[in-house]
Amino acid sequence: MEKKNEARLELASLSLPAMIYTIAMIGFPFIYTIWMSFHATTAAQQLVFNGLGNYSHLVSDGEFWHGLVVTFYLYFLSLALQLFFGTYLALLLFRSKRLPGIVRSLFISPFLIPGVVTGMMWLVILDPSLGAANYVLTSLGLPASDWLASPTWVVPTIAIIDTWQWAPYVALIVLGGLQSLPPSVYEAAEIDGASRRKVLFRITLPLLLPTIMTATILRSVDLLRFFDLIYITTQGGPANASDTLNIYGFRVGFEFFQFGYASALMVTLSVIVLGAVLILNQLRNAVAW
Amino acid sequence: MRARSFSVPWFTVLNVIQLTIAGIVVITPTLWMVLSSFKPSFEVTAYPPTLIFSPTLENYASLSQTTPFLHYAFNSVLVTVSSTLIGILLGAPAAFVVSWTRITWPAIVSLVARMAPGTLFLLPWYVMFRHFDMIGSYWSLILTHAVITLPIVLWVMLPFFDGIPRSVIEAAQIDGCGPIKIFRRIAVPLVSTGIAVASILAFVFSWNYFLFALVLSNAQTKTLVAASFNFIGEGATNWGGLMAAATLIALPPLILAVVVQRWLVSGLTLGAVKG
Repeated sequence: MEKKNEARLELASLSLPAMIYTIAMIGFPFIYTIWMSFHATTAAQQLVFNGLGNYSHLVSDGEFWHGLVVTFYLYFLSLALQLFFGTYLALLLFRSKRLPGIVRSLFISPFLIPGVVTGMMWLVILDPSLGAANYVLTSLGLPASDWLASPTWVVPTIAIIDTWQWAPYVALIVLGGLQSLPPSVYEAAEIDGASRRKVLFRITLPLLLPTIMTATILRSVDLLRFFDLIYITTQGGPANASDTLNIYGFRVGFEFFQFGYASALMVTLSVIVLGAVLILNQLRNAVAW
Repeated sequence: MRARSFSVPWFTVLNVIQLTIAGIVVITPTLWMVLSSFKPSFEVTAYPPTLIFSPTLENYASLSQTTPFLHYAFNSVLVTVSSTLIGILLGAPAAFVVSWTRITWPAIVSLVARMAPGTLFLLPWYVMFRHFDMIGSYWSLILTHAVITLPIVLWVMLPFFDGIPRSVIEAAQIDGCGPIKIFRRIAVPLVSTGIAVASILAFVFSWNYFLFALVLSNAQTKTLVAASFNFIGEGATNWGGLMAAATLIALPPLILAVVVQRWLVSGLTLGAVKG
């Protein structure tokens, strides 16, 4: 008995530093943000209790609803592109059995590049007057675009850049799923003389759904909180065309220093992310086999 | 049978073609960044853009003259290495305890930390660090970046500790070793690969992280990633310099990631996917 208590004490002391750190840097701040979200920020940077004032302000704040629309527009567009190209790339990689290591390195390179570097690189490529992208388009006889400088095209452009960066990541996850599919199913399909198209749409993709859902959840968490790339390239502009909830909340906090309202925005965004994850997780369980 | 033996190479060729196109799409933007960084200043903004040019190192040489690039690089290394070290020192024992006792709170907390937007934590941290007059200090950056590294270390290390055969630990227990002794003498040496992988992944993500340093650093403590606005400001007239800075900032994560390729996916997904 003595021995067991001693062991328990030692285990506790091993995890104690991590626990103290987690309480101080994650647990307490998390609760503090929720507390701040019920407070208004005065001109002198004091917090005064405001009840649900921030949340009722949020409901009537046009910028918030605009941010919500931009967030989901960017989310659905990016997610659709990344899942399509990611799965497509995974199927290509899976069919070519022997891949030199260098090819794999090549395909993981985009998502290891820091988001801000991605922004810098694409700012130069997509420059409306001197960029390489418009040169390629116009030499092919296609119209040039203002890309990130166009209020209409800024969200699709960010979605394209993010797809370049993260579709290979989706591909690696889906490739893992492909490699663990039972070969017996394919043998059965071959015996039945199923066509390649039929095997893909009736067998491979349905069996891959759980893996694709995992990729969806992981990308959703990042896409709903999209920050680095937008902040470095447009800071929510032009005008407020790419002002997602996360960017808006950051600006309310650290440009206008309205910490109370910014907290309410961040709590709301966290609830949206959590809700999305819970719903998607239910969906993943529904398609699991 | 004939049709089949004919169709196999045909699909293979088509596959290789598609894969090549995909590879070109993936590599071209990065390649363009690197190429532009070697272009002479009069050529980097040439229109139409040039592919053939006489490469120069002037952009790299001028970086340290036009911006405190080396100082920012030093800040990045300091913050990244320190936060990785904290991540390992706190995360490795915690992962060992989780593996031993199967308690779940660290997993849940690190998932919350992973899902919440960074600004959610940044707001209270700002108030906290302002209270202690620590805004702009290296410590504020190191402590906040450890929030990135700790969950990565925890999740990457967990399967390594789980992989230690139960019999090894039981034998040590019979010999009278307590958990601390088992951790230090037996577990740590057995999971040295895991510690290396976790360190590298934590380093990469801490290095790449933008938001915390954007707010909490000042002109003296700015990391490379947070300083990118300065480079973009400079780059309005000097694309070569901008692309040289971008290339250098991206280099450490790219090199390190090649080393830990095998563990990359499971590390990136916090264990949601086995790589």
